[in-house]
Amino acid sequence: MTVTAAPEAALGVLPRADGSAKYSYAGYTVTASVNGPIEAQRRDEHPYEAHVDVIVRPAAGVGATRERHLESILQSSLTQIILVKNFPRSLIQIVLQVEDTPENDYVNTKLVQASLDFAIMPALFQTAVLALLSAGVPMRATATATAVALVSQDGSKTSVVDPSPRDVEIAQSVHVLAFTSQDELLLAESEGDFTVKEWDEVYETAKQVCCRPVPTKEGMEMVLDDEHTSGPDLRHFLRSTMEQKVASDLHWK
Amino acid sequence: MPREAEPSLNEKQFVLQALQDSIRLDGRELEQYRPLELTFGDQYGVADVTLGKTRVLAKASAELTVPYADRPLDGIFNIATELSPMTSPAFEVNRPTETEVLISRLLEKTVRRSGALDTESLCLVAGQKCWSIRVDVHVLSHDGNLIDAACFAVVAALRHFRKPDTSMEGGVLTVYTPAEREPVPLSWLHSPFCVTWSFFGEDGDIAVLDATWMEEQVSSGSCTISLNKHGEICQIAKLGGVPVEAVSLLQCTNVALIKAKDMSSKLDRWLTEDAKRRDKGGLLAELSAENDRVPDI
Amino acid sequence: MPLDTSTYGLALLRVDGRRWNELRRIHAQIRTQAAADGSSYLEMGHTKVMCVVTGPSEPGPRRGAAGGAAGGGGGAGGQSKDAEVVVNIVIAGFSSVDRKRRGRGDKRTLEMQSTLANTLAATLHTHLFPHSQINISLHVLSQDGSLLAALINAATLACVDAGIPMTDYVTACTAGSTSTYAANDEGADPLLDLNHQEEQELPGLTVATLGDSDRVVALVCESRVQISRLEGMLAVGVDGCKQVREILDQVIKAQGQKMILEGTVDKGTGLNDMDLD
Repeated sequence: MTVTAAPEAALGVLPRADGSAKYSYAGYTVTASVNGPIEAQRRDEHPYEAHVDVIVRPAAGVGATRERHLESILQSSLTQIILVKNFPRSLIQIVLQVEDTPENDYVNTKLVQASLDFAIMPALFQTAVLALLSAGVPMRATATATAVALVSQDGSKTSVVDPSPRDVEIAQSVHVLAFTSQDELLLAESEGDFTVKEWDEVYETAKQVCCRPVPTKEGMEMVLDDEHTSGPDLRHFLRSTMEQKVASDLHWK
Repeated sequence: MPREAEPSLNEKQFVLQALQDSIRLDGRELEQYRPLELTFGDQYGVADVTLGKTRVLAKASAELTVPYADRPLDGIFNIATELSPMTSPAFEVNRPTETEVLISRLLEKTVRRSGALDTESLCLVAGQKCWSIRVDVHVLSHDGNLIDAACFAVVAALRHFRKPDTSMEGGVLTVYTPAEREPVPLSWLHSPFCVTWSFFGEDGDIAVLDATWMEEQVSSGSCTISLNKHGEICQIAKLGGVPVEAVSLLQCTNVALIKAKDMSSKLDRWLTEDAKRRDKGGLLAELSAENDRVPDI
Repeated sequence: MPLDTSTYGLALLRVDGRRWNELRRIHAQIRTQAAADGSSYLEMGHTKVMCVVTGPSEPGPRRGAAGGAAGGGGGAGGQSKDAEVVVNIVIAGFSSVDRKRRGRGDKRTLEMQSTLANTLAATLHTHLFPHSQINISLHVLSQDGSLLAALINAATLACVDAGIPMTDYVTACTAGSTSTYAANDEGADPLLDLNHQEEQELPGLTVATLGDSDRVVALVCESRVQISRLEGMLAVGVDGCKQVREILDQVIKAQGQKMILEGTVDKGTGLNDMDLD
């Protein structure tokens, strides 16, 4: 049961940050702000490149080790696509504020110690990329991310793209993959047990979601129409969001 | 962390001189608020308040815990205010600044100590089980007057919030998940609102409501008054700053009451609108008829 | 333990035998510590505080929490053109009945510190001491209500002793009302200078005024009270501040006289210094 609603995003939602974005998809809503490049603190300063600082803040409760874990994953993968060498001794600060997570109606949540779901990763990642674009931070590529869960049903395993909390709960394994706009694998994180063959399947599914070629010319647009795909066309979405923002910024021209 | 850039002398003088002539940079009257807007999230208990360019998000949540040993009959109610670097890069994680401490104290005094939420109703089994209600205040964007916006967001989130329904049968406590029973609202006693005055000039004779960040930076003092619509003061905080005539402070309080009443009716309207939006086809009313305890405060 | 307010209506006497407009005994001393730039000791009833002022001096190493330079606040950092007022309050464990330990991060104490810093920064002529710091440390030895007021008064005295130029005395006292917030009775009397018991039970506020004027520097009300009560409480509070000012003024003058008699200061220069600015 894939969530059918299309992803939504708005850029430049926060007036005082250098760049910001609000992204909501599959029940997750995340707002991100990017400030940078700014002066780095002495302890974060790197002589040759910019330090990328990622802060994940849960909607309720205080962040703990789980959030720190997500932060470190995001930090290392975003450092890969940002041109950090352009800004030595500076800091690029990305704050990700979770606003909404899909509710699991069958469980009463524990909240004092917030522990974010692994499945929130794609939303966090996507928001961070959008906010970085909005801030005009130079990047070598854009990136898209998705989560795939392997749920075993009647002996056979099916892969679910963008799983709901209920799916995550019953899933054998959950995978988060991100691809750059050059179709390179940027991030692969997995939880649970699975075989190599299964992972290959997950990889193909995720690649289909993330790396659908952007229809550049009017004529060849509907080539993929008949193909059965699950999930939204993220790369196209990223592009159209940016296009809309640029168009609205330049409406006076 | 990088420090916030101070406004230049020219900017300061410009703002001050304009205020001397009762002109504000954004064209407002001295006692006029910026447009206040509120949107509720898809979940219960999420309130997103914008006041001009200031934006605050509050989220209420509930958890079952053990009450404090010295207060076995009371539930637990906390307001967490942490300013993230999203507000401004000058704020660091896990290192509270003075602004943060003052905001959290003010919210605590306004909402918690004034008894807006009936904490006794949160207790389920004396000394053993109670609800712990927590409100997280997230400042997304800071353009002055954080306190009023944050207070409004907290009150809105709490009044919008629904906690899971429970029942006691033969000493067995059952907590129902949202799928089993429609969650119930908190027992809310009164809604306090903060109104912040900023004072300008050497004598503090110019008083301005809802200052922007620029105005806050050049102001010489401020006074936050919290009231509910019944004309009860919950808290006054003029923590130093420029001396102000006692009489004008009294006047400020009276104007603040009008503003608080205004905010109160606005919130009431938004809450009913939201309830209508959720209540498609009257289905909800049917399901929750048993718990029809929406307070008309 | 509810306070028995029923007797008040009969005899018009409060629990400690005072009438509505009476202050408690104020005993104050300045120059209590020879080594400090300025120091004072103040008793308001059973509330006893000690204050030591160091400075204006070169700012020490930056401290995170108390400075408050980040988001605006009292004095901005070391390189500003005004002196920064740094206040540190230590509440002794034995000062109240319930020996509750308050850590350094206690928000109530932090709030009082910032209130004091902002109150004094508005009165001291900080612009005369650029790039410097005025350290005020206060020790609470015993608590019996009106703590903030006592702290403000003690800090004022110590600043006078330290010889830091200031506009006028900042004096503070508390005021309350005999009605609880629920009862809207017209006959409620305002009360002056609340003790601990009254502070717990009745609505009250702390007010600090500048010198002889009606101008309010700080006003802190932490209890629920009808808006109609405010005017009476504020009037009584402001009046109380003027009484406190007289008392403090006498203390200072008596100390001055004593010093002249002892020959610690010359009469002429001493008086001229007083009149400066």
